[in-house]
Amino acid sequence: MKKWIAMLLLSLMLVSTLAGCTPAATTPATEAPAAAEATEQAAATEAPAQDVNLSFFTGKVETIDLLDEIIAAYNAQSNGITVEQEYQADASNIIKIKFASDAVPDVMTTYEQEFVDQGKYLPLNDMSQWWDRLIPSMKESCTDLASGNQYRVCTNMTMAGFFYNKQMFADLGITPATTWEGFVANLEAIKAAYPDVDPWFIFGEAWHLGHLIEFFPQGYIKAKYGATAAKQAFLSNDSSILQWGSPDGAMATFAKNLVDLQQKGLINADVLTATSDNCIDAFVTGKAAMFSNGMWCLSGILEKNPDMADNIGFAPYPAMMADGVPVVLVAEDSGYSIYVDSPNKDAAVDFLTYLFSAENMKKYSEALGSPSAFTDVTADWAPASVVSGVSDAVKSATNIGFTNEKPAGFSGDDAGRLVQDLLAGTYTPEEFALAYEAAWNAGF
Amino acid sequence: MRHKRISWAQFLSLPALMLYGMFFVYPLLRGIGMSVTDWDGMGEATFVGLQNFIDFFHDARAMHDIKTTLIFALGSAVLLNVVGLCYALLMNSDFRGKSIARVVIYLPAIISPLIMGYIWFFLLQPGRGFLHYAFAQLGMTDIIGSWMSSYPSALLVLVLVNVWQFSGMTMIIYLAGLQSIPSEISEAALIDGASNWQRFWRVSVPMLMPAIRINVVTNIIGSLSVFDVIMSLTEGGPGYATESLSIYIMRMCYGSRTGYSTAVAMILFFIILIPVLVSMRFTRQKS
Amino acid sequence: MKENKWGKALRVLMILIICAACLIPFYVLLVLSLNAPSRVFYEGNIFMPNFHWQNFIDAWNKSRIGTAMLNSAIITAGTLIVTIVTGGLAGYAIARHSTRYNKFVFGLLIGCMMIPGIINTVPLYILMRQINAIDTLWGMICVCSTLAMPSAVFIYATFIRALPREMDEAAALDGCSPFATFWRVIFPMIKPATASFVILNGFGIWNNYAQAVFFLQSRAKQNIPQALSVFFQQFAGAKWHLMAATAVIAIIPVVIVFLVFQKQFIKGLSDGALKG
Repeated sequence: MKKWIAMLLLSLMLVSTLAGCTPAATTPATEAPAAAEATEQAAATEAPAQDVNLSFFTGKVETIDLLDEIIAAYNAQSNGITVEQEYQADASNIIKIKFASDAVPDVMTTYEQEFVDQGKYLPLNDMSQWWDRLIPSMKESCTDLASGNQYRVCTNMTMAGFFYNKQMFADLGITPATTWEGFVANLEAIKAAYPDVDPWFIFGEAWHLGHLIEFFPQGYIKAKYGATAAKQAFLSNDSSILQWGSPDGAMATFAKNLVDLQQKGLINADVLTATSDNCIDAFVTGKAAMFSNGMWCLSGILEKNPDMADNIGFAPYPAMMADGVPVVLVAEDSGYSIYVDSPNKDAAVDFLTYLFSAENMKKYSEALGSPSAFTDVTADWAPASVVSGVSDAVKSATNIGFTNEKPAGFSGDDAGRLVQDLLAGTYTPEEFALAYEAAWNAGF
Repeated sequence: MRHKRISWAQFLSLPALMLYGMFFVYPLLRGIGMSVTDWDGMGEATFVGLQNFIDFFHDARAMHDIKTTLIFALGSAVLLNVVGLCYALLMNSDFRGKSIARVVIYLPAIISPLIMGYIWFFLLQPGRGFLHYAFAQLGMTDIIGSWMSSYPSALLVLVLVNVWQFSGMTMIIYLAGLQSIPSEISEAALIDGASNWQRFWRVSVPMLMPAIRINVVTNIIGSLSVFDVIMSLTEGGPGYATESLSIYIMRMCYGSRTGYSTAVAMILFFIILIPVLVSMRFTRQKS
Repeated sequence: MKENKWGKALRVLMILIICAACLIPFYVLLVLSLNAPSRVFYEGNIFMPNFHWQNFIDAWNKSRIGTAMLNSAIITAGTLIVTIVTGGLAGYAIARHSTRYNKFVFGLLIGCMMIPGIINTVPLYILMRQINAIDTLWGMICVCSTLAMPSAVFIYATFIRALPREMDEAAALDGCSPFATFWRVIFPMIKPATASFVILNGFGIWNNYAQAVFFLQSRAKQNIPQALSVFFQQFAGAKWHLMAATAVIAIIPVVIVFLVFQKQFIKGLSDGALKG
């Protein structure tokens, strides 16, 4: 303690000497040199015109280490551009503070419809060196409906559907269902044969429950009216198409079906407290027959149980509505955008061109565990048996995208929290549909 | 001479004021202005008068959050003080391993809430958590229920975890207060024939007033602005059931309702201010 | 004091139960951090780990927790020094010169404790950017100092009020300036105040996450909670043994600091006494 106090005193003395022993000046004196130093540094780095510090903001945890590697190689070229990566777990919130404070990074992976509407991203329409290599449907997905411009380049695509235990299905002689009745019959068959297995494992994380809304009730609208008309309906809040609150609508049907499965014990009892890790654990140990998720969960499954590779089945979502069709999510993933007022636009394009090279994109696709959106990249993003299963499922069902046109004040997580309330018994299915409608309209 | 010296010595508080003014008050004053606008975090802000405040009182979710916050604060401020004082009374004696016991009780308060959240979730998860398997190995199943999936029980768990984590802190302050009571005073009371209970109320409590004041005031402020414990254990869920006002403010701020969130923060300020003023009045020391 | 045998036994028993309740989560963390990667945690005796020490080496190498610890240490030490100097002086001025100006300063500091910090975020971010303080440790020290300031002033003012004024006057007669009086006479007398301030605020600064998220951006400047959150995200669920080992590594220095200083802290708290 004495030593510690002495150290403290010593540092205090130093500070007070610097301050010329006039206490009133202590604060400015301790700050001023540091501030001045920082300004000098900034001036020194900005002065030569060719030296550029490019800020890159990402929320993708899977690619941090690979991007560190790629950025190090890029910076080593010494072309006057130095890229710095910033990763944030809570990226979509933090980027809002950055926009609000006018401290926007040059390149970012976060993409929000509200920023598109405000014209915050640089249109990338002229970047034919990228678009010529991209799968046309992915270019389509990157296009903003209202302006017809492309504000981001998506390097990968991702799929979401039902993962199921092939062995278990084969033993019971069942196949993935296309209709809701068939789906429930499958779950019941699994429950009857294996009482300690959860036929459908749902976990309570808000984003996952929000995704279920995008795949089931909103998936119905996206498949029925087609991608473009559905996007227009979402953007203009066309209630004649959406019908969120209608007691016979897709939203109420989804809620009814979910509660019905919960009451029959066909989903796991701890749906509200289970996590995605629990889901993967249950699946690899044979305690869960099927679950809904995207390709991003594959690496976790294979890491826990590499022998599972040949046993992972992948199927589309069955239709819940009488006039619905099975759907599977095929969406753009990992989009890169440039800030419209960035002073370093050329440097940003140069860096992205480097990042998008076929060689880097192969590694990227393998790190991310999803297929590349570039036609000249062939990556082993998953075991061959999984890849073939996924491509069969994609061919067999209507492909839908994410609902990127949600109102700014009503995020996917907000919707997920409403589903938590439904599963906790706060709402009846009809009340849930009305609550969803109210929240959607309020967010609009 | 003397007069002159005093007149400038009072300004020794200036460095603190300048630092605080620059990094807290100045941004705050700029921030408060937003409470009467509809600013969404970008672009132009329009003056909307008191509309944000009116909206707040018409929002069912916000009203539920006030209720949750008040229940949480009442439960945890009272329990933290009672439990902390009990710990301090237990520890205020000589026994072997006294200093180790104090460290152990204080330990939960010094660990990052992030780690604490992970650990408690891992412990309490129904059907999968550590305690579930521990009790199962002892032959007791179904002891750990789905407490975090329904409203009143989830709130109770949150209060208890909060008390568990921070009662070491209140204990330390009460212990300091107890140790500052000269032993002659309580011995004199003993000779007068006062019972233990009377001695505690008539002698210890008045002497403990400064410690009570510090603990009550800081725990009221801390419990009414609770954020970390709830975020790491339930994220305000299920749904919005255990959302506190601080979490609501954060979500509104990120949900493109920056102006509104500022107005709610002002309301929270008054919600905290009233009990703090009241408790400061009740614990005022008589000189 | 007179306490019968049963009373004493009951007291010891209660203390043991309380200590056990406080330690359970740490025990669980330790067990997890010592389990082999292949182990399914609920199989076998869950109270007994595999003693797989390699986890700590792997966690250290993969998590960048070393750099983060250094950053957290610099931020914590810097913040404590700045707040002890400025807050101590302010507490002295407030305790000794209860003028209208000082009452205002005190009221402002205490009042601002009750305002949720999030409404400051955007204006503070703009300010930090203007003075080039983003992603610097000194900028983070300034922000953390304002968070700890009200508490420092509150504690110092309370403790200094309890000291007799004669000491100041004697020092003044010896020709000390008010600054020197504080520094040479008052400050050494109120070590307990410094000790209580450090113990009540130091760990909060060490564990700061809410501000670090905005003001420390690059991985080279990250503090401990940020490094932990990135690591936890990267290995979410898949590698509990590594996550737990990293958490244990992050806790160890805090526990050591506490163990080394706890006697002084508690002695400090009780000698100085809350006479205020």
